[in-house]
Amino acid sequence: MQQLLKTGQIVKSVTSGQNIKIESYLGGGGQGEVYKVDFNGGKKALKWYYQGSATDVQRKILDTLIKNNAPNAKFLWPQELVESPDNSGFGYIMTLRESKYKSIIDLMKRRIDPSFEHLITACYHLADSFFQLHSKGYSYRDISFGNVFFDPASGDVLICDNDNVAYDNQTKAGILGTPSFMAPEIVRGEAFPSVNTDRYSLAVLLFYMLMISHPLDGKKESSIRCLDLPARNKLYGTEPLFIYDPDDDSNRPVRGYHDNAIEYWGIYPQSVRDLFTKAFTEGIKDPMHGRVVESQWKQVMIGLRDSLIYCGNCGAENFYDQVLLKNGQTHNCWSCKKTVQLPFRIKIDKSVIMLNSGKQLYPHHIKSDYDFSQPIAQMTQHPSNPNLWGLKNVSSVNWILTKADGTKAEVEPGKSASIAVGNKINFGPKEGEISF
Amino acid sequence: MAVRPGGELAARPLHFILIADCSGSMSDNGKIQALNNAIREAIPHMQTSSDDNPNAQVFVRAIKFSSGASWHIEKPTPVEDFKWFDLQASGVTDMGKALKMVADELKMPPMTDRALPPVLVLMSDGQPTDSFEDGLAELMAQGWGKKAVRIAIAIGDDCDLDVLQKFIGHNEMKPLQANNAEALVNYIRWVSTAVLKSASSPASQSQENQVSGLNIPIPVAPVNNVPNSADDVW
Repeated sequence: MQQLLKTGQIVKSVTSGQNIKIESYLGGGGQGEVYKVDFNGGKKALKWYYQGSATDVQRKILDTLIKNNAPNAKFLWPQELVESPDNSGFGYIMTLRESKYKSIIDLMKRRIDPSFEHLITACYHLADSFFQLHSKGYSYRDISFGNVFFDPASGDVLICDNDNVAYDNQTKAGILGTPSFMAPEIVRGEAFPSVNTDRYSLAVLLFYMLMISHPLDGKKESSIRCLDLPARNKLYGTEPLFIYDPDDDSNRPVRGYHDNAIEYWGIYPQSVRDLFTKAFTEGIKDPMHGRVVESQWKQVMIGLRDSLIYCGNCGAENFYDQVLLKNGQTHNCWSCKKTVQLPFRIKIDKSVIMLNSGKQLYPHHIKSDYDFSQPIAQMTQHPSNPNLWGLKNVSSVNWILTKADGTKAEVEPGKSASIAVGNKINFGPKEGEISF
Repeated sequence: MAVRPGGELAARPLHFILIADCSGSMSDNGKIQALNNAIREAIPHMQTSSDDNPNAQVFVRAIKFSSGASWHIEKPTPVEDFKWFDLQASGVTDMGKALKMVADELKMPPMTDRALPPVLVLMSDGQPTDSFEDGLAELMAQGWGKKAVRIAIAIGDDCDLDVLQKFIGHNEMKPLQANNAEALVNYIRWVSTAVLKSASSPASQSQENQVSGLNIPIPVAPVNNVPNSADDVW
């Protein structure tokens, strides 16, 4: 509310003894205020707690986090503990968020308009970052709109407000979460935030990002007049029901109120719909064993990105769906409604990857190791015949191309394997087959 | 062409109604000026806070009471277009009349059947001179009146706190005592940011830091640690 620290004021790091100069007020949240500060000649962010939030428990949490490193660079992790000679309480130093990172609120208000590709990449990075956080034994405890930022031009993410992160099930004090993101068992007062409840909140966040709507806001929400706390507790706690629950259609989204949910749900492939359905049916009924884990989201996001196809008529991004193809149905563009022509695709194990112009394959595609650092293959046109497509070997090892007629050829780095139906490319660890 | 389908996240309307005492005593010691100033101070923060809130469309109105009551800003104004016009003080304290008029606006129609809890802020420096109880009864007879988040700010020392407490209707929540201009600024900024946010998209919930027993999770009001020097007190 008030500005707790004044511009120009000097505070001190307890961790390193450095003096820190307050430069400007950046904003206030539920627990404290954030300032831009001068720290050792560089610019950093300082979060300073409100009196009621500057608790011993909070300080202990910070001490632990500062001693340990962030799970990866996407977390704006507490770096140094700060006190002030002129104010009671404390705060902490973290890296300043660059302005290219936008909030999920910007996405909800459509102030940014990322492509599906970058949005899916952001979802992948979030799942991966929480996977890494949880792997270290931490729970985040407050996954919500305000704590996550992403670059709409790339899908890179930043996770802020890490000061509630704690070793799983070690503390019952402090934060409970943000309503509508909180797991139903927390809303009902039966559980405290944990890795397991993080998984529910992550599913809500991913649903919000991909569908711009809430997974439980359907007919039940629209029939509520006054959406106050008792109403929210019912919707998100005591009577939670997924809007697309296959066994109970009483909470379907309502045209006029939940248009986004209706428009987006059908656009994504069945695999995505299935995973969200699991997250909000089994994940609600059986919090201990039914939740979708981060590696499942990672897999499905990679698959979703690889299933992007482009409408030849209007250029809109659409998604290939194996189930549609099996049922003999066409892919119709969500934007112009015309039939989308499928590109060449390559099947590696169970994954089917759309070979759009410029598409790159990564080590992950042949090793399932989540390595997307350097591409190994890229779709290219033949230099003299643009009607001929090839998969260029940009890796450091030879591939073997087996044509449909059985003839084999070696594809050295820098060369391209021709793309034709029935051609197989052996990348070493795995082989892929081309179809159209 | 849009890159992805659909529109903004669906939001519900949130009505924010300021109920301001403009009786003659408000002209003493610059109280009415302080009130005008405090509201003006709060506007940009209210706008920023609403802008960061994807769950609500905030509409602002204001009603004034002295000898009788009238709408000062009658049209529910989208918060991004909200402008404040100075109030003038004179007359008696017909608070009951103002509550009746607010009650009329909370009937359906004009209220829509789907909304967030309205936020009503009663600001007064004295004792009602009309039948406050009748006005309150009419307000509480409305569904939206009962569901409303009712906050009261006592301006100065002479205010009838019992009346304000009855308006709030919850013992857990006390009238905010603004004994000086700075406190008034802080409280009005708090209701127009933190309380508005709580009524629409509640922030992170902790087990400490909030008033229990209400139908929206209202955060604890700011503490005004301003010295109570004689010059400061109204």
